[in-house]
Amino acid sequence: MTHGEGPVVHDPSTLPSDDNVNPYAFCVDLDGQWFLQKGKMIAYYGQIDFHAIGHGPLDHLVAANFHSPLHAAAWVVAQGRGKMLLADRAYDINSYDLEDGNLTIRSGNLLAFQPGLALKQSIIPGFLTLIGTGKFVAASNGAVHFVEPPIRVDPQALVGWADCPSPCHHYDHAYMRGVLGGIRALTGIGGTSGEEHQFEFTGAGQVLLQSTEQLMPAADTGGVPGSAGPGVPGRP
Amino acid sequence: MATFRLQSTRVLAVDLAGDAVKAKKGAMVAYDGEMTFKKMTGGGEGLRGLVTRRITGEAMEVMEVKGHGTCWFADRATEINLVRLTGDKLHVEAGNLLVTEPSLRTGTTFTGLRGASQGNGLFTTTVEGTGQAAIMSDGPAIVLRVTPGTPLVVDPGAYVAHTGRLTQQLRSSVGLRTLIGEGSGESFQVHFEGEGLVYVQPSERNTIGGQM
Repeated sequence: MTHGEGPVVHDPSTLPSDDNVNPYAFCVDLDGQWFLQKGKMIAYYGQIDFHAIGHGPLDHLVAANFHSPLHAAAWVVAQGRGKMLLADRAYDINSYDLEDGNLTIRSGNLLAFQPGLALKQSIIPGFLTLIGTGKFVAASNGAVHFVEPPIRVDPQALVGWADCPSPCHHYDHAYMRGVLGGIRALTGIGGTSGEEHQFEFTGAGQVLLQSTEQLMPAADTGGVPGSAGPGVPGRP
Repeated sequence: MATFRLQSTRVLAVDLAGDAVKAKKGAMVAYDGEMTFKKMTGGGEGLRGLVTRRITGEAMEVMEVKGHGTCWFADRATEINLVRLTGDKLHVEAGNLLVTEPSLRTGTTFTGLRGASQGNGLFTTTVEGTGQAAIMSDGPAIVLRVTPGTPLVVDPGAYVAHTGRLTQQLRSSVGLRTLIGEGSGESFQVHFEGEGLVYVQPSERNTIGGQM
């Protein structure tokens, strides 16, 4: 089999150590333990065991580093030696180093973290806070952008924030003022822009944004017979 | 001879000079020149192939594309990977096979429980011979080498294809705790041993195993 034009072939010695294989996959050089979210491991070389979080041989580790009973069912501890590949829905994967810091991240975007970090639940629903020193791996739909407060961000584009105080809600109600606004508020006629609610950040720190929001449902145009519904003749 | 080239990572261009390729039905996005598209019954291996495919569920919806010019193929913006075979055998899920050269034979083999845990059935498609095939993956596929000293473990949901002399074995670590609702999430894994290459995608299909 020749690979003159094929993709790069990896083996345990050529896989990177605690670094990205490509923008969508991260390789952990495991020697000890890592916490990871269930189902994010795609392949590994070596001897690695996966332990559920709960009562087990890793009780003391979990007690020291995992403080989110709400998410316990979604996390596991990988223990052993080897190279382990992590990926998530073909999203962009990035690793970050925290040094005696704190960072809050959307729970679905966090893939894995080193036991030097402690995981806690943020008071903002759906977010987790990492405190301590170590490396963690997170996914984002599109590249991550770092911005500094003061800033207002769309809740769906927010990945997380570091060092700054937790955000507050911000609502634009200017469009509800005046006679026309009153009619709109009462009847719903005229609609809303969908952008009148933001998270507002103040203070010093970093805010992480991804380049996607939840997409609006699209009307099917140019569909093929069978999927486009009535009006498109022919059989699938 | 049909020549395959990647127009981008998600679009495959095939130059044809009067010959034909087999492609996943509906995967043509554009063409240049004169092309004919013909539905092939059950993968085009005659009655026996048809019956096998119907029974095994690896029913590829295949069309034959023949003509002069260039034909472009793409499917749901998935990444396309070219695999050149020189007499060896490629195992791939029927749904991940985009285009094959006519010199390649396709068939169906029993994979055992790995297929069942993927929710893809107990059978997989094989591509054999000399020529090029284009396979699809959700995100660019990562090619991992397996040697006798370095066996590989893959999540069934991330598995795309493999080549070479590999034995695969489904292992589960389902213990009592999984059964009462506290699973490790990686309960089903496929162990590859031997000599060959495994293609994995940076994404997981929904699998029965992965949900445990």
